Amino acid sequence: MARPGGRSKALWPTLALPGVAWLFVLFLIPLYVVLAIAFGTLDPIFRSPVPVWNPLQWNFSQAQYVLTHIVGANGFYGPPILRTAEFVVIASALCLLIAYPVAYYVARYGGKRRGLLLVLLIAPFWISYMMRMLAWVNLLQTDGWVNKALSLGGLFPVDINWLNGRPLTVLFGLVYGYVPYMILPLYAGLDRIQPSLLEAARDLGASKWQTFRRVTLPMSKPAIIAGLLIVSLPMVGDYFTNDLLSGSPNTAMFGNLINNAISSPETTAQGATFVILMFVVLLAPMLYYVRSTRAEEGT
Amino acid sequence: MTEEPPVSRRSGLSRRSFLQRGAAAAVALPGLTALLDACSSASSSGSTSSALQIATPATPVKWPIYSGNAPIASGLEPEMNATLNLYNYVDYIDPNALKSFEKKYAKYNVKVSVTTYESTDEALAKIRSGTIPLDIELGLSYDQIGKMVQGRLIQPLNHSYIPNHANVWDAFTNPFYDVGWQYTVPYTVYTTGIAWRDDKVSTNIPALPNPYSVLWDTQYARQVSVLDDARTCMGMVLLKNGLDINTHSTKDLALVLQQLKALNAATQPKVNVTDYQDVPTGVVSVCQAWSGDAINMISYMPTGQSPKVLRYWFPPDGKGEVDNDLMVILKSSKAPVMAHLFVNHMLDYNVALKNFGAIGYQPPQTRLNVADLVSSGFIPANLSTAIVQPEWFNVGYRILELPPAVDAEWQAVWQEFKAGAH
Repeated sequence: MARPGGRSKALWPTLALPGVAWLFVLFLIPLYVVLAIAFGTLDPIFRSPVPVWNPLQWNFSQAQYVLTHIVGANGFYGPPILRTAEFVVIASALCLLIAYPVAYYVARYGGKRRGLLLVLLIAPFWISYMMRMLAWVNLLQTDGWVNKALSLGGLFPVDINWLNGRPLTVLFGLVYGYVPYMILPLYAGLDRIQPSLLEAARDLGASKWQTFRRVTLPMSKPAIIAGLLIVSLPMVGDYFTNDLLSGSPNTAMFGNLINNAISSPETTAQGATFVILMFVVLLAPMLYYVRSTRAEEGT
Repeated sequence: MTEEPPVSRRSGLSRRSFLQRGAAAAVALPGLTALLDACSSASSSGSTSSALQIATPATPVKWPIYSGNAPIASGLEPEMNATLNLYNYVDYIDPNALKSFEKKYAKYNVKVSVTTYESTDEALAKIRSGTIPLDIELGLSYDQIGKMVQGRLIQPLNHSYIPNHANVWDAFTNPFYDVGWQYTVPYTVYTTGIAWRDDKVSTNIPALPNPYSVLWDTQYARQVSVLDDARTCMGMVLLKNGLDINTHSTKDLALVLQQLKALNAATQPKVNVTDYQDVPTGVVSVCQAWSGDAINMISYMPTGQSPKVLRYWFPPDGKGEVDNDLMVILKSSKAPVMAHLFVNHMLDYNVALKNFGAIGYQPPQTRLNVADLVSSGFIPANLSTAIVQPEWFNVGYRILELPPAVDAEWQAVWQEFKAGAH
């Protein structure tokens, strides 16, 4: 007698094959290439990185150089790493503070205009990140529109040089650049909360604030975590915002360390080491997210 | 009815599954490494010798002509329907120079296109990969010549196609980096100095005992920038201290690091190559600059503001950083005859002069006269110090290639500076 579900045993692995192949070709192999470069050698003439594919022949000198210059007396990589953590935490928190009310309004009160509001929220994605930052370089010039607005059209003398290496400008750029990525997952999460649950809370005597605090906010926790991850993970590797809005080593971020290292062929292996380090560190929040969503699905 | 055992909420990996998957990965890994190794050896060429020959003014180099890389024969007809692909920095050639070349050789239906790069290291990597069909590289610095020649990436020139080479300064007839100009012709010459707006900088920079020190002056905190080029910026620090800009000394490099850290602390400089925009628009008030960028600043002055406020300083005795960029024909060129003719075209005095006007960087043309450039208004008097004098190439300091171990030390200092150490 044929086993029930015998066909489905082969079906699901087959359907998963394209995804597995994609993961292998576009993630695992490139990751291995990064490892091969980080632990590779240098061409003696061109001084360019030569990847070494056999782990038994790996050379750890460049990686060792990076790891021994993060903390301690020679730990000059430490401050930009700490600074990146500060910027990412502050910018992500600001993104959340800005995005949550927007997403809440669209999800709960959008009504017939919800589609239009969603299109307007997605509109920034139509313009590349680089172009949006370049536009801000223009606006933030000493005679740009930002200073003109602050001076109320020239009533007050305002001569702030926003682009001269200010951490505040870099933070502003990060928030501006990444807030659209926070709004959408928050909207999706808030939209899924059943109105009947909120009505039940109100029927049981909860005020609006209590309903928000004890029903809406806890139920939007997965969306908040997803939004924070979507925003903070690429922020860690961001170098362009600092390069464009500051350009000063005093606001250098982790992404700038990678970019600086790979800009010179001799230090590309150091850049690859930074990439591996970033991957390992960011794996923890990713695993936490996967675990927390599994726990949510299990309840 | 028997009860189903409770389902664990944590669907973790079992020990058997982990061991099975680990064994599979261990079996697959050698295959993956062999595959990747085969792919990499089939792709870009590696170097062909184990040591880099370095040219210096004291030890000039006449590069060999390798077998399989002989210059093209004389008297050949230019290729028909060729598309010459130039590889160049952004905005580093006059578009009209390309059009005039196409017009001059219209009967061969030649077209010229430009692909750009951000740095010579990027250019070198792309050329080695062979992924882009390229004919001529402009903007190559002479400290890359050894790599290009020994890597068989450029072809030797047939001088019979380039009679306009007679228009260039004598210094480039037998340059130390390419004796007998076998592989290169000069494209532009420039110096590295200090540029500023005198309406924003009260200090009389030329009168300072050490003008480079203005970049460390705390009254200009956050109004300063230095060039995002390790050799140029660190070379400036060495010059500031009266040291060799090609030093191999660990002690000198330690001093450079100390002073760069002090720079970070004192004026928090920007590190970029957009000085030609930043100074005119007021983002910075004083910066390290190439002479060509100082001249380019005129074009970026905001409407209503006079370019007369722009200034440039370089040691009057010529004892500062002097450099030149090159034109080379790539070995992979599909139209080498036409490429030679293009190089010759760019060395024509009138074409070179118009190119100077368009890009701000001076060609080493013997007919160019400093006094004429200023009196004719080609270069404003306030930027006359940005004009490069031929004799400076006899006394000035050239950035030379460094041995790998020394280069690594330089890079370590640069990475530490750019990480914001102070």
